[in-house]
Amino acid sequence: MHGNEPILAVEDVAITFDGKQPFTAVHQISFAIGRGKTLAIVGESGSGKSLTALSLMGLLPATASVKGRMFLNTVDDTYALHELKDTHQWMQVRGRKAGMIFQEPMSALNPVLKVGSQLAEAILAGHDVTLHEANKLAVSWLDKVQLPFPEKIYHRYPHQLSGGQKQRVMIAMAMCNDPVLLIADEPTTALDVTVQADIIQLMKQLQQTHHTAMLFITHDLALASTIADEVLVLYKGEIVEYGATAQVLHAPKHPYTAALLACRPSAQQKNKKLPVVEDFLDTGVSTIKPEGMPPVQVTNAELLKVKDLNVWFVGRKEPGKPVSYFKAVDDVSFTLHKGEVLGLVGESGCGKSTLSRSLIGLLPVHSGSILYNNKELAHAAPKVWYDVRRDIQMIFQDPYASLNPRLTIGDAIMEPMRVHNIVPVKQLQQEMLRLLDLVHLPADAAHRYPHQFSGGQRQRIGIARALALQPKLLICDESVSALDVSVQAQILNLLKELQYEFQLTYLFISHDLGVVYYISDRVMVMQTGKIVEAGTAEQVLKHPVNEYTGKLVGAMPKLL
Amino acid sequence: MVTYLAKRIRYSLLVLLGVVTVVFFLFNVLPADPVRLTMGQRTDFKTAQNIQHDLGLDKPLWTRYALFLNDLSPIAVHERSDAAKQMYGYIQLFPVSGKYALTLQWPYLGRSYRTRREVTSVLGEALPGTMLLALAAMVFATIAGIALGIVAALNKGKIADTIALTASVVGISMPSFFAGLLIAYIFGYLLHSVTGLNMTGSLWDYDAFTGRHLAVRNMILPALALGIRPLAIITQLTRSALLDVLQQDYIRTAYAKGLPKYKVVLRHALPNALNPVITAVTGWLAELLAGAFFIEYIFGWKGIGKITVDALDKFDFPLVMGAVLLTAFIFIVINLLTDMLYGMLDPRVRLY
Repeated sequence: MHGNEPILAVEDVAITFDGKQPFTAVHQISFAIGRGKTLAIVGESGSGKSLTALSLMGLLPATASVKGRMFLNTVDDTYALHELKDTHQWMQVRGRKAGMIFQEPMSALNPVLKVGSQLAEAILAGHDVTLHEANKLAVSWLDKVQLPFPEKIYHRYPHQLSGGQKQRVMIAMAMCNDPVLLIADEPTTALDVTVQADIIQLMKQLQQTHHTAMLFITHDLALASTIADEVLVLYKGEIVEYGATAQVLHAPKHPYTAALLACRPSAQQKNKKLPVVEDFLDTGVSTIKPEGMPPVQVTNAELLKVKDLNVWFVGRKEPGKPVSYFKAVDDVSFTLHKGEVLGLVGESGCGKSTLSRSLIGLLPVHSGSILYNNKELAHAAPKVWYDVRRDIQMIFQDPYASLNPRLTIGDAIMEPMRVHNIVPVKQLQQEMLRLLDLVHLPADAAHRYPHQFSGGQRQRIGIARALALQPKLLICDESVSALDVSVQAQILNLLKELQYEFQLTYLFISHDLGVVYYISDRVMVMQTGKIVEAGTAEQVLKHPVNEYTGKLVGAMPKLL
Repeated sequence: MVTYLAKRIRYSLLVLLGVVTVVFFLFNVLPADPVRLTMGQRTDFKTAQNIQHDLGLDKPLWTRYALFLNDLSPIAVHERSDAAKQMYGYIQLFPVSGKYALTLQWPYLGRSYRTRREVTSVLGEALPGTMLLALAAMVFATIAGIALGIVAALNKGKIADTIALTASVVGISMPSFFAGLLIAYIFGYLLHSVTGLNMTGSLWDYDAFTGRHLAVRNMILPALALGIRPLAIITQLTRSALLDVLQQDYIRTAYAKGLPKYKVVLRHALPNALNPVITAVTGWLAELLAGAFFIEYIFGWKGIGKITVDALDKFDFPLVMGAVLLTAFIFIVINLLTDMLYGMLDPRVRLY
């Protein structure tokens, strides 16, 4: 390697998909990463950022083809990645010179092999050692990625580890052959914020000791700003911004970058309409003054009163009688006033989804009471639930999985109305079209099927379906978590708009403190089934008293 | 793993008891008179009564059910007499009273109405032939099927895939008796001089001079004929499961580690793709162990299938009942082994 040559040089790379409708996913992009440096590629889904990463490892789907030049420089050699053809040729680079970490630690490890032997396998691929030595190295690597009791972890299967632990194993696997380049494709997106902070810390540390060049793919500009030296913003397969991190964040040249920064819900935007990407791209400006939104009157009327609620799952069972329980919701009490937005935050597994499901009768209650308009819902008869379900509706997290793929959108929206006789049969069609209009979807959406819509559009459909019953209380369970930040802003605006129009009350569940802070009047923090802190949004998220809340707030990546 | 197994075994025993019960009551409500069947058409009243008493048919239904269970149980209570000892062939564990003793025995299935031979020994004679044939057919089908499935999956859409798929469709659609006849005719008759195989024959050959001797080569053609359909199905199952698994994230991880293709396929993809294949293989094996009537008939192979069908034709209930119970037992044992295999291949299964 000659002096200041970059580790990775990508020149005019374009990725195209052949097939019936050929299209170009990535247009002529060029970038370079130096030794020990980190480049973050930031973009929304479909921007081509993951494809770019996969092309560097030769892992693109068979229908994709790459044009352009990619060079990987090590101390002794230069590899022309664009000339590598089959698995055999790629083997000299993969794992040995370049390691890769993927987004989903849950599915990235082989479920039927012990994590230790999967790691040892990677070591064997890059080192000339015996199996016994590889196993020893594997244990020492498990130690290096700060897993407790590495000898024990070695013998575990993936399903016995937490998401964060699995991602540590993946990091060990990618780094064990001391590659010159580490590619991380959204490595922390599926993880909780506190875990994310630890993983990022670990990656930085390993990068420093090994002087690895890192390509960090993410959708989160704030996260990129905490780890990267340089940021590259991709939009529809093209580079719209490329430069030093501070410069990109503080003085974005392209309106898209400005939009990405602006549509993140933040403290300044509370009670205001969030700007969306179109606003910026249409006008080409770099700042937009947020419009105010009419606030909803919070009343003192108690809409929902939950007292000492317990939802337990049977753990171990002896014939006939359960002997141990897992307390998913443990003595939870709170009150929801008419017209307010109550935020519920907590990490995965804390019981927030279980709580929401028990509130609409999808899970049996162990003990305690749920009073809705002074009607007792815990252990209520199906007849009671039938009436209450009209009033309490839920918007689910996954807009892809929560719509029946075989029902047209129109049918999906009309079904609950039919069950509850909301409108006379003759007016069903008309009412459905009104709902579509309400969530800003075109009328012709009624005849189409869920797979023909984007994630954001599907979430609008989910909202329309929930609104079909004219509910008074909407439970939003991570309703915007799966969406891109620009789409998230649109959906949040829509939720606010609808709240004002129909005087709705929301229970808003999310792991994203920024979103919760933006939308909520009051916030509750949940940890291992218990509410550990509650108060106004300002109080809880700006001046947390509880230690756990403080940790959550501290772990949120902040823009530099 | 131990608790998982204990649970499976407990379930299996329950299922077995259920099958025994259903079989007993089913055969006791069938409108056929065992006395008639045993005695032939002409008999006097007294003899008929004696036979009825002998078969225990004069006792109430529930008593007969209890005795039936006692006969089947390996640990049973029997009279301490030479006659009983000869009948059940038991080993006395310890006496429970002056007249009765707790005994260890083979399950006693009664005697054939027709030949008066013990059902256990009739089935026992036919079982090895059927078992060997079934195992040979399934080993052939499994190895060839998985191999073909891998080849087809790795060459998806190419000529090798098309050939494998077309061949497997033909294999699935061909009824076993037709495949059997075809194979017997081609390899046993037309190509006899090349293959040296006969159209028919059993595991044991009888020679006028040397007597009985083992003839394993007689197994080749029936095993081939029996194996064709499972082979075709295993090929398709392996192909589709493998194609599915090859799309998984952990396969991408394996490639990203720099593993060669054969390791990715054999170590990472195949074990994850085997579940549906195991279900098919073991289910099929259990079915074949119950006897493959057509194939056994065509190739003149002495096995359970042929015996069962003959017994059905003659209303030889003890033999039919014995065959049904044996089949059920085989199914249950194979299912148990299957569950263990799932547990070995996939650690996540052991949780349940």
